Amino acid sequence: MSISNEKIVEVTDVTLAYRRTRHRVSSLKQTAIDTIKRRMAYEQFFALNGVSFDIARGETVSVIGRNGAGKSTLLKVVARVLPPTTGRVVVRGHVAPMIELGAGFNPELTGAENIVMYGTLLGRTPKEMRGRIEAIADWAGLSEHLDIPIRAYSSGMTARLAFATATDVTPDLLLIDEILSVGDEDFKDKSRARTEEMMNSGCAVLLVSHDLETVRKMSSRAIYLEHGAPKAFGAPDEVIETYLSDVHH
Amino acid sequence: MSELQVYDSAVPLRPVISQIQAIYQNRGLLRLLVARDLTVRYKRSVIGVWWSLLNPLFTTAVMYYVFNTVFKSKLPGGAPFLPYLLSGVLLMTFFNQALTMGADAVATGAGILTKVYVRPEIFAASAAISSAINFMIGLAPLTIVLAIYRKTPTLHFPLTLLVIGCMLLFTTGLSLLLAIAYINFDDSRSLIQIFLMALQYMTPVFYPISVLGPHTRDVIQLNPLESFLQIFRHEFGNGGVSTLFNWEMMFGSSILAFLIGFYVFMKRWPKLMAKL
Repeated sequence: MSISNEKIVEVTDVTLAYRRTRHRVSSLKQTAIDTIKRRMAYEQFFALNGVSFDIARGETVSVIGRNGAGKSTLLKVVARVLPPTTGRVVVRGHVAPMIELGAGFNPELTGAENIVMYGTLLGRTPKEMRGRIEAIADWAGLSEHLDIPIRAYSSGMTARLAFATATDVTPDLLLIDEILSVGDEDFKDKSRARTEEMMNSGCAVLLVSHDLETVRKMSSRAIYLEHGAPKAFGAPDEVIETYLSDVHH
Repeated sequence: MSELQVYDSAVPLRPVISQIQAIYQNRGLLRLLVARDLTVRYKRSVIGVWWSLLNPLFTTAVMYYVFNTVFKSKLPGGAPFLPYLLSGVLLMTFFNQALTMGADAVATGAGILTKVYVRPEIFAASAAISSAINFMIGLAPLTIVLAIYRKTPTLHFPLTLLVIGCMLLFTTGLSLLLAIAYINFDDSRSLIQIFLMALQYMTPVFYPISVLGPHTRDVIQLNPLESFLQIFRHEFGNGGVSTLFNWEMMFGSSILAFLIGFYVFMKRWPKLMAKL
């Protein structure tokens, strides 16, 4: 193994461009009319523009910037969901995305069935997940509600189940879109502690956050994105400094 | 730990091949999705498995009343109308269900697909497979109806599996194309219902193809479902004929729909994601 293999993530000059219509058209009828009247106007839009960075094992890289700067898009490119238009993304190992937890839940399935389904969607095997049902439910404090459909759960219970399932891994790369604290006060502390524990477990972390104190505390390097392009990259203190001076102007 | 997975965006995905590989690698997920489709529909209802039969059986009952009693229509050669009709309704239900459920699963599964890397084709395939299972359950009442008319499934009834296999390819491919329309255009959901109704009339579900004039018949034969249905009826005890044209049409259209659907979907999906 060469040293570069210790780089879990390598993002090289990534650009993500969309062709989007000037007015959002979402019906066949409107498209037909616009096409006939030659009103379809497209514009090129760069969600990401020339982004490069890498993350080594055990390192946390944070992404900061205003809303719509491309932070979540960057997470999706690293999560393999969006292919880059140009540039290259290499990710080695198992990825655990903590992005909008519970998106794969089905309200008609029971808690236990949802644990297996959600875990499998997150890249594990059904067999592995079946062996983890008890432990996950126990951690979420939902052992007694495993056999009822989760449509009968409160939103707090659903969030706890989602969090417990998504974090029941030892990933090589952890993708975090804001550090979540879900549920009641007790569970909030518990979930935050577990997130920090995962972040410190030696995996690589890509963290998107508006909470600058967390960024300062948790990350080894930070990227400041503006309109999809990196405006500053390096030590968190300096990057935050640049960002704050932009915001205050 | 399992072997190291490496994602390299510079390694291009090969259309169809990469997609089939992804479905195979995720067969655990595929099985779960099929089980989910079936459980959500069966386990949670009192009448269980009969629920999936309710729709085709009820449709058949209504159409039987309309055409047999009201219009007093007869099949040529005095062939019994009920098994003829039921086999048509079952096959059309298979097609409609696989197509719309598949497109729906991809379009609404977008919630998870935009966050986690899962090939959407798996969702389309799972809808087609669960529709196929429903269809096979429907073969039980069809066998009973055939028996009532003193017909037994033919010795070559296993060839029905070929019809099912082709229908899987056909509907998976088409549902991916429909999913693109669903995501792009909000009004495509209502338009497809009109299209499916027209297609139903263009398939000899409740009329024999022999009542049509030669020109109409030529047009109807361009509808691949006509060939699927002729072969299914022939292989599953309803008699009739399946011509070489029918077989060519069934295999040709299903392979073509599969390839085009997968190819176009792979090319369009990254652009669709931007909309989701």
